[in-house]
Amino acid sequence: METLQFLMDGFAVALAPQNLMFALFGAFIGTLIGALPGLGPANGVAILIPLAFTLGLPPETAMILLTSVYAGAMYGGRISSILLNIPGDEPAMMTCLDGYPMARNGKAAEALAMSAIASFAGSLIGTIGLILLAPALARFALTFGPAEYFALFMLAFATLGGITGKNPMKTVLAATIGIMISTVGIDIATGTQRYTFGVLKLYEGIDFILAIVGLFAISELLFFIEERAGAGRKIIKVGKLTLKPKEVLAALPTMFRGGVLGFIAGVLPGAGASLGSFISYTLEKQYLGKKGHFGEGDPRGVAAPEAGNNGASSGALVPMLTLGVPGSGTTAVLLAMLISLNVTPGPLMFTQNADIVWGVIAALLIGNVILLFLNIPLVGFFVKLLSVPPMYLLPMVTMVAFVGIYSISHSAFDLYFMIAFGVAGYVLRKLEIPMVPIILGLLLGPEMEKNLGHALVLSDGEWSTLWATPLALGLWIVAGLGLTLPYIIGPLLRRRMQAAIKESPVSD
Amino acid sequence: MTARGDRILGLGLFVLAIAYGWAAQQWPEPFGGAETVGPETFPTILSVVLALSSVYLIVKPDPDAHWPAGRTAAEILLSIAILVIYAALLEPLGFVIATTVAVGTLCWRMGARPKPALVTGFVSAVVVFVLFNNLLELSLPGGLLEFE
Repeated sequence: METLQFLMDGFAVALAPQNLMFALFGAFIGTLIGALPGLGPANGVAILIPLAFTLGLPPETAMILLTSVYAGAMYGGRISSILLNIPGDEPAMMTCLDGYPMARNGKAAEALAMSAIASFAGSLIGTIGLILLAPALARFALTFGPAEYFALFMLAFATLGGITGKNPMKTVLAATIGIMISTVGIDIATGTQRYTFGVLKLYEGIDFILAIVGLFAISELLFFIEERAGAGRKIIKVGKLTLKPKEVLAALPTMFRGGVLGFIAGVLPGAGASLGSFISYTLEKQYLGKKGHFGEGDPRGVAAPEAGNNGASSGALVPMLTLGVPGSGTTAVLLAMLISLNVTPGPLMFTQNADIVWGVIAALLIGNVILLFLNIPLVGFFVKLLSVPPMYLLPMVTMVAFVGIYSISHSAFDLYFMIAFGVAGYVLRKLEIPMVPIILGLLLGPEMEKNLGHALVLSDGEWSTLWATPLALGLWIVAGLGLTLPYIIGPLLRRRMQAAIKESPVSD
Repeated sequence: MTARGDRILGLGLFVLAIAYGWAAQQWPEPFGGAETVGPETFPTILSVVLALSSVYLIVKPDPDAHWPAGRTAAEILLSIAILVIYAALLEPLGFVIATTVAVGTLCWRMGARPKPALVTGFVSAVVVFVLFNNLLELSLPGGLLEFE
């Protein structure tokens, strides 16, 4: 078993004391980030990137830190769903449906513990799936030529709006803006200066890290100011934990089904964790039928979406690690870290940077065990932090973003740039232009141009080469479907999600 | 329902697309002669895509979001101003003073009472400063508080 050998090597990397320490730290910070409303996982990971940089961490340690944050954020999202009835992040939306009623019935501690166990189960299933699927997909991806890659990038953009996305045209618009920003600077192939306006700072291009931090962190601050949500909301008291092993055992099949469904949803480009938790919840509800009392605080209604959500978050790493094409906002931010570390994402990473890939995978497994143990006893502590009102929290988060960006290059110029991106992000979000395609465009733009160039040089300027092979053509067709299907399925699915939320009698 | 937001955005992006595409045609031919794919090929494609999608936005805009007006808009502008001033004063005043003022004012404007807001700003500034300069050995500007 070649894979097993690699995994063992990965464990050797992940268990090195420094890496283990950062995994623990990342898991802790991640849970915090996931739990606090207004600080989503993509946002949180983005703020930590410059810090990971300035600390001068070696690539595998930096990736282990950020992956642990990512895994932790998926755990943390459930805490505010259950206690506040506000999802800490989007995928945790479905957890509100049964988690909040459970908390209102005085079973908050049980709901938190059950969801922690379900998160663990889902993540474990997802990571095992990742270990089995990723090397095979990476081997397959080695056969991709430049034309296939170009088509694959189109596919990534087309499906990024996701099935729940609103206006596909706005996804196109956002992606194009992102790619356009990435063309600023000196062209790698010819050395031509593009859109630099003679400003020296722009010669090396616009650093995507400050764009990401600005678009996420600064715009979030402005949103909170607009909504005057500074005071926060009252949270439900957490009582003593009285979860019986029998109850956990009863929910095990639910967790298993949820984890598998979530993983599949996560691997599919653009579907992501939100769909994973939604599918797991609805299918489980139908499967159990009258036997469950979903929507009124059924523990299985907490277990299913949490297992799905965490399974999906591991699944979403599959396309990111093997193809270099992320399927969600947070994995896009993780990709940003990889690119900044000078690691070329894609199938070759599995051979050339095996220590990073397998170190990260092993760290996911270890991180999950850490998270499970962190989350059950420390839940009280997280709940305390949750009651810190945003009016104190968000200015501090903004300050940390400033410190991070400043410490990259020690120039105020970068800070102005970040603020400008923040204001632009606020305006664009107001106009319902999605942020994630912009980020993905920024990251993938140079790769897209490079592959387009290679494909056309190989074919002597024949444009039809881009869809000449069956594989490339297939990718184009799926991309086309990905862009048009939301028109048909999107409204239907959104209605169902809304209906599911309205159905639950106590969520007000 | 009005849809002015999308239309203005569409118009702005359309102008941007034209300018962006036009600029791409002005670059000198790269050293070694023109090839099928030059530095202008990809930007030209992008400008066409952006122009087409912005026209779509003008023709079929979504209904407007609720834009902040009056006091809320003023609050947002004020916060942006605080951020810009923070960035400008970070080096001359030093991290601790600039952060205390910036975080303190932001907390206050978001609804905290002035005194706890200022304390939050000061404490977080000192903690981060000590953490960065002493433990992580990354230097943040000391500014006025720097003693040689």
